[in-house]
Amino acid sequence: MTDVLLRVVLVGRDAALWLAALSLDRALGATGVSVTAVELPASLHPGDVCRSLPPLEALHNRLGINEADLIRATRGSYTLGWNLAPPAPAAPFFLAHGGYGSPIDNADFFHFWVKARRFGLDVAFEMFSPTAMAARQGRIFLPDSETAKFGRADYGYHLPAIDYAGFLKGLAHRAGLASHRSRSVQVERDEADGVIRAVRLDQGERIEGDLFVDASGAEAALIGRALDQTFEVCAAGSPADRVLVASAPRFSSVPVYSEVRICEGGWLELLATQTTTQVRYAYASAGRSDEEALAEAQTTAQLPLEQARVRAVQTGGRVKPWAANCIAIGAAAHQLDPLFDLDLHSVQLGIVHLISLFPAHRRFEAERDEYNRVLASKLARLRDLAPAFYGLNRFYPAGFWDAARRAGMPRSARHKIGAFRARGQIPPMEDETFAPDFWRAMLVGLGEMPQSWPPAIDLTPPDTLRSALQRMLGFVKDKVLEQPTHDAYLQRLAQGELV
Amino acid sequence: MSDGQVRIVIVGGGTAGWMTAALMSRRLPAADYSVTLVESDEIGIVGVGEATLPHVKIFNDLLGLDEAEFMRATRATFKLGIEFRDWNRPGDKYIHPFGAFGEPWGGLEFQHHWLRAKASGRKVAPLWDYSYAVSAAWANAFDFPDTDPASVRSTYAYAYHFDAGLYAEFLRRWTTARGVTRVEGRVVEIGRDGASGNLQSITLQSGVRIDGDLFVDCTGFRSLLLAGQFGAEWEDWTHWLPCDRALAAPCANSGDFSPYTRSTARPAGWQWRIPLQHRVGNGYVFSSQFASEERARETLLANLEGEAQAEPRLLRFAPGRRVQTWVGNCAAIGLASGFLEPLESTSIFLIQAAAIDLVDLMPTPGMVKSGIDPALPAEFNRLSAMQYERIRDFLILHYFANSRVGEPFWDYLRQMEIPDSLAHKLSLFRSRASLSLYQYGLFARDSWLAVLVGQGIAPQGYDRTADTFDLTMVGDRLDAFADRIASNVASMPSHAAFIANYCLATP
Repeated sequence: MTDVLLRVVLVGRDAALWLAALSLDRALGATGVSVTAVELPASLHPGDVCRSLPPLEALHNRLGINEADLIRATRGSYTLGWNLAPPAPAAPFFLAHGGYGSPIDNADFFHFWVKARRFGLDVAFEMFSPTAMAARQGRIFLPDSETAKFGRADYGYHLPAIDYAGFLKGLAHRAGLASHRSRSVQVERDEADGVIRAVRLDQGERIEGDLFVDASGAEAALIGRALDQTFEVCAAGSPADRVLVASAPRFSSVPVYSEVRICEGGWLELLATQTTTQVRYAYASAGRSDEEALAEAQTTAQLPLEQARVRAVQTGGRVKPWAANCIAIGAAAHQLDPLFDLDLHSVQLGIVHLISLFPAHRRFEAERDEYNRVLASKLARLRDLAPAFYGLNRFYPAGFWDAARRAGMPRSARHKIGAFRARGQIPPMEDETFAPDFWRAMLVGLGEMPQSWPPAIDLTPPDTLRSALQRMLGFVKDKVLEQPTHDAYLQRLAQGELV
Repeated sequence: MSDGQVRIVIVGGGTAGWMTAALMSRRLPAADYSVTLVESDEIGIVGVGEATLPHVKIFNDLLGLDEAEFMRATRATFKLGIEFRDWNRPGDKYIHPFGAFGEPWGGLEFQHHWLRAKASGRKVAPLWDYSYAVSAAWANAFDFPDTDPASVRSTYAYAYHFDAGLYAEFLRRWTTARGVTRVEGRVVEIGRDGASGNLQSITLQSGVRIDGDLFVDCTGFRSLLLAGQFGAEWEDWTHWLPCDRALAAPCANSGDFSPYTRSTARPAGWQWRIPLQHRVGNGYVFSSQFASEERARETLLANLEGEAQAEPRLLRFAPGRRVQTWVGNCAAIGLASGFLEPLESTSIFLIQAAAIDLVDLMPTPGMVKSGIDPALPAEFNRLSAMQYERIRDFLILHYFANSRVGEPFWDYLRQMEIPDSLAHKLSLFRSRASLSLYQYGLFARDSWLAVLVGQGIAPQGYDRTADTFDLTMVGDRLDAFADRIASNVASMPSHAAFIANYCLATP
């Protein structure tokens, strides 16, 4: 083929840049595609933590990243989900990455749980989740063939961001990837068709390319500055327009979950690693000054906070993250609500779909359209989650949480909630990231309960149901007790006992 | 539950009515639901869907039907796919199989390896040789798929050709033995609640009144309840699918006992051939804008393999769907909810999918008293729209991507504006052989691949990661895969012999 695209130039920073560069090189390097990374100054601070979702493990596997090496090098930790801590006296609830219960008579477990509750069962949904129960006990969850039959046991990571970016960059250098550093870039565009021909670095060096990837984060050095692709603010807003980020000392015992604590002025998240704990406090500038926010964060975290800084939040994105010959990934393309830490996942979505749609030749309109369509759809599903959480909360009668209830919800989120309330179903939609039981755990935790269940589950005799529930609870309990503690596991990793 | 029973009234006893009733008798607890089906012997059934998709086996298994018994009762044969003759241009043929093409290697879809090997000058076989179902179909062979996923014999599924009238009868016997009440009679009056507008009762010519809480409209094109009572809006798709008539005539089986449906392109539409045990079903689906009924009748009769067993029967229809298929306390299933021509044998699938969704979303006894939660019909309607639109695009593809230049019907189709959702899929495949897929709804990767390639869409490129695989190894794997298929198919029993052993109906 004479008209293939051969030169990919990435302009960006931190994990997004190196993850994208490595992935493209790994997938396409052998086909003659050259990958050049232009590294802009880091935007990270000591103590920043990348919170991943379960699919990252698969991308790492494709890059040949060994998980033990990754955790050793970054001194990160594992996370089995989010512990949501509403104000007392409400009980905390767990949003597990792993599954909940096992099907009975080929029907979703959840419906049986709803029915059993109606008839007096007083056992929380999370008690049927091996990963949630392991997390509550400070244990990691290592699946075996029995637990795999029972359900999924997925997990994410808390990775100190500077170390994670450094780890990826080291891999890129060892892979022989061409890279440059520059404080900023000048973009050179073709006057006729508007495509980017080259970027010019601050030392004057000119780097030509066929395809450009913008992984520069909120700066959007290419897609925003050069190509002028407008950033559209999300209609279903977030009640939070500020996030205070700070560092706290590590916990002596590192929790194997992320924690979101609800307080009057917003919510606070704790992301524990082996070196530090990152604290994020999302609030509204209308209700709090930054000083007040810091005080509230301190009280809520009950930890000494250091290096506190505030950043503004505006959720939204670019209608066309792929414009001309430039593909924006991660925050350069989409800004998501800080709740549930979706940034790294959004980077991954951009990378994975760019590779699966990497142009076969120079006329790539079809690939571009498909990329923009898929990303829009994936992002729309991610954007159902936080608005549903905000919209349904009953945490506080006024202020932030009242504004949260009134912030508005996409139609698709309202449809999901409607079907859940009526029947306990999460309507199957294309491009969904979170499993139905994750949604259900969140909605139940927020105080929603379905009115009914699919009538077919009433065909399961009550005795069968009762014994199935007892068997599951026993299984979860036994399996969790077999697991090592997170601390012990991390220690064995650090000592090189695990590979 | 202590709120009494939900009285479900199904109006109409064709395939849709009896499939729905059968599923309800199996999946709804009798303590909470009673099911009554009203049908009239005076009203004929359309009996479309003599050809089915593999999903119907799942449905029958869900009911717990005995397959051989069901096949004997409905004079059924097996089906491995649909053969399209002369669709792209006269003389062409291909099969849309119920099965995979090749296998993905290194996480990359098969067609990219195949195209890359071809582009690199390696001699490769036509796509069809990499499908077990296609090879078996063209060899007139049949056997059950293997359950061992390592075996190449596990790479296909099967459906049936059956007499839809006999299927409805079979289900009627099966279902009425399981607690569903059948009432014979013609509906002459429909009672509605003044306040809510909900349906309350139907009255038959005999004067018998049947009260209900939830009504299922299975009255076919007439859509007696959904359209007749609620005026549900119709979305017309004639501009994309201009065929609006069918002439059907059975003929004697000439001995070609093919395990596949055949669709042959004709000047103003296409002709089906569905081999049953006792006869062959034939029909000419055509557009009244492009052929008169008389002309169509001549075309059909000139293209039968045996003598017609009856005067061709005319069916009129319009492609499209009701925008809402569940309104108030009335849900429509089957032709009452919409119509897509039988090109891809989707009618029975649409019935089955709607019946399963309705049972899952069925209001509880408590709800019919306090009012049906609108979220239940909203989800039913969303799923129904999704099914119809996805099938619609797939059907349009067959017509749009044709090279039959100089025939007014086919020229129109090739030049029409197609839905964006389809245009987008086509340009992506043309550009790089990738398929823009979805997770929910009918027709997955291999179906799209078969029809895109079969209709002559030639991709200009392929996924470049295919170039990272060793070319010799890929070529050898391609050869080995086709060889495995050929040698396995050679040892299969013939379709006719298999049926004779397994499920031959006593005449």
